[in-house]
Amino acid sequence: MPASSASSSAPHRPEDLILRLSSAADGRDGDAKLRLLRELKNQIIGNRTKKLSYIGLGAVPSVVSILSSASSAAADSDEVESLLVQSAAAIGSFSCGVDAGVKAVLDAGAFPYLLNLVSHPNEKIVDAAARSLRMIYQSKLAPKYEFLQKKNMEFLLALLNKENENVTGLGASVITHSCETSIEQKALSDAGVLKKLSSLLGGSLSQRDASLESIATIINSNPEVISKFVGPESGRALSIVTELTKDRYPRTRLLACMCLIAIRNTSPSCLEGVGIKTKLILILLELLDDSGQVGDEAAFALCSLIAEREDLQKLAFEANAVDKLCNHLEKGSLHAKRLEGIFLALSSLCSKLECCRSRFLSLKNNRALFGIFPLKGIFKIGLLRCWTFGLTVSFGFREALNLVTDALTHVCIEVRGAACICLKSLSRSVKNLSAGTFMNEIILVPLVQLLCDSPTSLQVAALGAISNIVVDFTVHKSTFIQCGGAKQLVQLSKSMDSTVRLNAVWALRNLMFHVNNRCKEEILSELTASVLASLISDPKPSVQEQALALVRNLVDGPEDFADYVFAEDCLLLHAVGNQLQNASKPDVLLQGRSNLGPPRLFPKKKHAVSPGGGWGKDEVFARDADASIKELTKGMYTLCNVASGNEFSKEAVMSQLFCQTSNTQCILVNFLQNSDSRFRTAAVWTVVNLTFPSSPGAFDRAGKLRNAGIATQLKNMVDDSCVDVKLRVKTAIGQMMSFGDGST
Amino acid sequence: MPVRVVETSAAPSQAPGANVGHASPQACTLLGVGQAFSGTQNVSSPQKDEAWRVNVRIQGCDLDHGYLCGTMEALNVPMADTPVVTFWEGEIVDTKNHTFFTNKWKATSEVDIEHWTKFPSFAPLLSQVKVDGGKSLDLSSYHYIFMRWKEQYFVNVGTDCGLTIAGFYYACFSCSDGSINGFYYDPNSSSDE
Repeated sequence: MPASSASSSAPHRPEDLILRLSSAADGRDGDAKLRLLRELKNQIIGNRTKKLSYIGLGAVPSVVSILSSASSAAADSDEVESLLVQSAAAIGSFSCGVDAGVKAVLDAGAFPYLLNLVSHPNEKIVDAAARSLRMIYQSKLAPKYEFLQKKNMEFLLALLNKENENVTGLGASVITHSCETSIEQKALSDAGVLKKLSSLLGGSLSQRDASLESIATIINSNPEVISKFVGPESGRALSIVTELTKDRYPRTRLLACMCLIAIRNTSPSCLEGVGIKTKLILILLELLDDSGQVGDEAAFALCSLIAEREDLQKLAFEANAVDKLCNHLEKGSLHAKRLEGIFLALSSLCSKLECCRSRFLSLKNNRALFGIFPLKGIFKIGLLRCWTFGLTVSFGFREALNLVTDALTHVCIEVRGAACICLKSLSRSVKNLSAGTFMNEIILVPLVQLLCDSPTSLQVAALGAISNIVVDFTVHKSTFIQCGGAKQLVQLSKSMDSTVRLNAVWALRNLMFHVNNRCKEEILSELTASVLASLISDPKPSVQEQALALVRNLVDGPEDFADYVFAEDCLLLHAVGNQLQNASKPDVLLQGRSNLGPPRLFPKKKHAVSPGGGWGKDEVFARDADASIKELTKGMYTLCNVASGNEFSKEAVMSQLFCQTSNTQCILVNFLQNSDSRFRTAAVWTVVNLTFPSSPGAFDRAGKLRNAGIATQLKNMVDDSCVDVKLRVKTAIGQMMSFGDGST
Repeated sequence: MPVRVVETSAAPSQAPGANVGHASPQACTLLGVGQAFSGTQNVSSPQKDEAWRVNVRIQGCDLDHGYLCGTMEALNVPMADTPVVTFWEGEIVDTKNHTFFTNKWKATSEVDIEHWTKFPSFAPLLSQVKVDGGKSLDLSSYHYIFMRWKEQYFVNVGTDCGLTIAGFYYACFSCSDGSINGFYYDPNSSSDE
């Protein structure tokens, strides 16, 4: 470390140094300025605490003042040039890795001076200015560079064409920081920037890394630019990048992987072959061992590579990724960024494949099994094997799961969010939900806590995990309610934020699935019928869908569960009916007709239908159009389930199905004529339940439905393209025909 | 250990899933998540014949992957104090993810055909299944869904319940009436099971 050249009196007091620097900046003593700049630089280089201290005490404006006065000096001299170099270097140091420093530098007006100095004839000054600007461009606070202005693009190309690696590096950093839109990506590609960056891949380590990062930015999510990059005009660019995945430097390998991931995620056909995919996974897993920034970023890169891609998740599983990621977690004392990345990578890995979830949850089980196994030697082999599996599910994965649950209370918000997302993927396992794995206070208490006073993003992440966990097929849903979970979900179902509202109602819907009557009553008394009714008519179709599914799960069960929709003067039933009436108008609902076949008669057939419920997977938030379809079918199924009840229930459903102003207009017709088989299935089931022959009022209802054209429509559907619809139509026609064909 | 599970009540549970592959069976509302079935399981041995009451509930269904899972509850098992609940996972024979040939669980193709032919609805498929396991069949519009159900673990009892879950079930679901018939196969079962 260089020695300080400060005077002997009070050499280490920042306040004194700043005072002297401030006085010198106003004066003409170049030597003093130089000496103080060097002293300051030596104090702050590599020392974040001191940087922040000097920034707080106002050192930056004095340094920028020296830079500006040297920049506007009438004539260049050695002293002026040294002042420019030293002040630029000090500014770079303040900006390196400290956003507060970048802000202070930009606020003091250093940026235009530094930019001018990049064109200075003195190479040392150019180098110092470029180095400082690179530091600034590492920060999000750096000003956006407008590529679409012709002179700016020319200046950028000029930077990239320089010999000096700090200058070319600056050009690359500017791109990485500022290129955001596809128009900018294309403009850079068209201007030859991509080609130039490709040529820099053969340069120094610094140039290579900066170019790789820029290339990844320019090609990201842009198939047109990617096709140019992998095409003949870019030479061997793709093969050079591929080759760099084997470079001796970890950061270069990581950046090369990120380029290939950008290509793979946007234009998979450009990067075919299992070989390269497996190679990418293996490299990234190996890079996780790097204890620095490279290791941190490798986890995020792996997450990006395998997200939503089952084939790649399978390859990662075969490459032992679950074990490797888990091994890193077990090391403990990882910093926040690393933890976040690993949880997100695990989340992607476990999002679709049960084998990944099982592997993660069963890790570290062997010791436990080894200890117990011999005790059970009395059983025959087949039984023992199955029993060990049972053990795996019941006890073994507490330890692995604890790594995730521990992170739910991590000090860093990003880690808590990533742990929730990971838990969401793990709890997609029906096998474990059935075993009641996640329904315990160790998991539920911190999750419910995250619903209170957390930022929206964290609330949504926690709700995602809760939505899955409360599906729980065991009889312990009351544990969640006892933890205060239902209360919090109800609170969030009233949120002004529609995403929070949607996720909260979704979770309530899943909590209501197959829950006992006592819990149902508790949830409903917390939620209230009026709030539920308002959610059924929520402005967002996706919220409506979940609210209707919630009602459906509410009435699922014994016949008297249908009473819930009749409470408060049929508040919920009217809400469902109104929603269907409003949303199923022909112009909204009728998207086309089903494939109609010739009419055919089927023999009479009885069929009993009892109410059913459902739980919803978290996987994809439905688009609004799809949400509308789901919402309407769920609404119809709610009525269908109520219609499976007693006479009162059936008549109540009839009154909802018929237009209030006309006794012959029935919304079932629109459903039955819809091109989407989901509508048709729901509607036919409702007809089946309403006309079940042994119910006393079935004859009258069949007559009313016939008058509304339902029988005619059903006869047109006997050869429906959907087997499910076809079979239900057969039942419905059989039941209606059992009362006669209406001709007499 | 032959098993028969007859549906007595069923209901549409969820809107059927979209994006069903061309070779997959179409979604059937009677085989959706949440559906419950009840019936009997006939347990034969040289000493006696028993009929256990059985409830089945579907808990998960992923037609794209030919996957189904749920629980099976045996109510009046003589050697158990409480109903015995097991969790099972099923393979749907969709000729995309799974064929009629099991290729595991110690079931040869001869064993497979022997069991599948016990279902009358399998008869029209037999000749082709003998050739390629049914790989070239299009079952997407067939009114029956063939499955294999493998119990994975006991949910509520320990191994001292005296039951084995080492075998698996050949099952056939009727989309028309929602009934399920199944036959258990376990080459290692002792004679008293």
